[in-house]
Amino acid sequence: MKRLLSLGILAVLAAASIVLAQTSGQGTLRTATGDQPFTFVLQSGQTYVNAEQVTAGLGGTLAPDSSGFRVTIGSATAAFGPDSRYGVVRDDLIEMPVPPISIEGAPYVPWQFFQGFLAKAASLDVTWDAGTKQLSVKPLQRDAVGVQVSVADVQGISKIVLTLSAPAEYGIVKEPQAYVVRFRVPVRAPFGEQAYEDPHISRVSFTGSDLRIHLTGADVAGDAYQLENPPRIVLDFRKGAAPVPGAPALPVPAPAREVPGIRTIVIDPGHGGREVGAVGPNGLMEKDVTLAISRKLAASLSNKLGARVVLTRDDDSVVSLDQRTALANQYKADLFLSVHMNAAVVKDAKGSETYFLSLEASDELAKKAAESENASAGSNPNADLNLILWDLAHQAYVGESSRFAQAIQEEMNAATAVANRGVKQAPFKVLVGATMPAALVEVGFISNPEEEAKLQSEEFQNLMVETLTKAVQRYKTDYETRIGVIQPAPAPAATTTTAPATTPAPKPATAPAPAAPQTRTER
Amino acid sequence: MKRAVAVALLLGAVLPGGCRKKAPVSGNLNVANKVAVRMVRLYFESPQMQLVAEPRNIALPESPAAAMPVVVRELMKGPIAAGGKSLRLFPADTVVRGTYLLPGGTVVVDLGGTTLSQGWGTGSHQELLAAYSLVQTLTANFADAKRVRIVVNGSPAETLAGHVSLSRSLVPAPALVDAR
Repeated sequence: MKRLLSLGILAVLAAASIVLAQTSGQGTLRTATGDQPFTFVLQSGQTYVNAEQVTAGLGGTLAPDSSGFRVTIGSATAAFGPDSRYGVVRDDLIEMPVPPISIEGAPYVPWQFFQGFLAKAASLDVTWDAGTKQLSVKPLQRDAVGVQVSVADVQGISKIVLTLSAPAEYGIVKEPQAYVVRFRVPVRAPFGEQAYEDPHISRVSFTGSDLRIHLTGADVAGDAYQLENPPRIVLDFRKGAAPVPGAPALPVPAPAREVPGIRTIVIDPGHGGREVGAVGPNGLMEKDVTLAISRKLAASLSNKLGARVVLTRDDDSVVSLDQRTALANQYKADLFLSVHMNAAVVKDAKGSETYFLSLEASDELAKKAAESENASAGSNPNADLNLILWDLAHQAYVGESSRFAQAIQEEMNAATAVANRGVKQAPFKVLVGATMPAALVEVGFISNPEEEAKLQSEEFQNLMVETLTKAVQRYKTDYETRIGVIQPAPAPAATTTTAPATTPAPKPATAPAPAAPQTRTER
Repeated sequence: MKRAVAVALLLGAVLPGGCRKKAPVSGNLNVANKVAVRMVRLYFESPQMQLVAEPRNIALPESPAAAMPVVVRELMKGPIAAGGKSLRLFPADTVVRGTYLLPGGTVVVDLGGTTLSQGWGTGSHQELLAAYSLVQTLTANFADAKRVRIVVNGSPAETLAGHVSLSRSLVPAPALVDAR
């Protein structure tokens, strides 16, 4: 059966090899362990390599699957199929210039398959030299990566953010009273050693490509995740883990930190610039309504909650989805709300709905990746822990995001005649990677002419602003009550629907904001 | 059959020059290209704004990998059931550039067309249902399909219309499907 399967796949691969084969020959696979011969074919300007021979030369195995071939090298598995110029490693695509082919019953892949596979799975660089006919495999040659370190106490959690000048491979090793971020590339360190007045982190030091985070006690536990744009590694430390046996406990300095709570809120007006979003039947553009409501909402939140509010855009400009979340993380926001208008093909669709992030697909695959990473770490006696968890930054905030979304939707239901479409989860890009409770509200259906007219009206926009302000205030009160913060006197009930837009908001005593980019507005 | 003969002839003519001998492919291609009429379930938007299946009989190659692009192209035609009330989700000019079934159950769907290429201006609801209509259609009709990765014009895309993340594969979301 397996043989039949293999023959079937090869038959489809062969169908892709209609183009004239021009030259073939013997190449040399050059790795750190020596040279291995393999067969290659040059066809229509593309070099294809014998997948089985190259895989074997790399110490791996190639096996047929119901829909292609699996290549396993070490603990990493990649796959390719007939007719497809995409391979896959974990949930990441490997792009090839052309699909694989079959020659003499053997699968041949563009040499770029191995380049993509090994770069993504093993930090190895694969190059093909047509002159010498060498396929070389060596560690990725990169310039030294710059690392900036910032430490902040966020709601009782010590958060250390390592901002990298470029993406870099790394592992995290747990020592009795330290965590070591072990970069696999040269590092440009901003300092040799620096002390911090932090409840969980005493100092940070660099030794070669190792960044060592010294903890204040053996009972401090860490968690880590990655963020993109710019590439960052974030480690959260808190008390709670059992002391590592044999590790002396250090006295913990008295915490001197700010009162936690909802202090900084990022409001994200959806779309902008050439990305107009949905357009109503009478021409109203989503990007314009989101900006109008968000501006008013920012002013309202500043005035009524005393919050520091940041807009991801304050004009008709394009802001990438990654940038929006990155901005919220950069400002260490306590809350993120993306404002949108909905659209549907159902003409009379109406109502509001509120989303928070679901990562169903990512969860499953990331767990497998983490298991794989942890299994690899387990085989290394120096690695007690490996915390590379892809971009599951938001996981820790899903529960709070759900509460936040619920508060928004309930206030929308109570205050407006807009139909209730409920609280939902979806893998929305703008919510991915937010390291705070985050939600996306769809205020109404701009595709419905009746709702389009409402969304355009000042009166309805003001009602939405008032409603969303109440929702944020309600969530803030709920959250701060749950974490035991003494509440200030409640804000007076809103008597007007639009707050002045120019009143500056007080800033928190700590967590200073980075310089605001020109396109951001802080209120 | 025609294709098989053509491939065999070409391989016979070409490979001995460039390589050594022709690949034994013709018999297997016959199997891969065998076509039969089969009922598939295509997912569109119901008036209740959920995904609902429209059964449709179409001629499909026996091989799942070969059948998938046929089914996705059928999905892009929109609903055609007489008296049906379901609605098309993707823009009418959407082009299915290819679908690729990879080992492990990932189906890569490569979409194109003017609207998706130039920026699809729609809301999160339509975008969400459109993306998941693909996921639901493929996973409901092919046991080999476990998840769907959407690319646009041959390259990974951030979203289709500014909302749903396409940076990872999508798995079925039963909450979006009308269970009735």
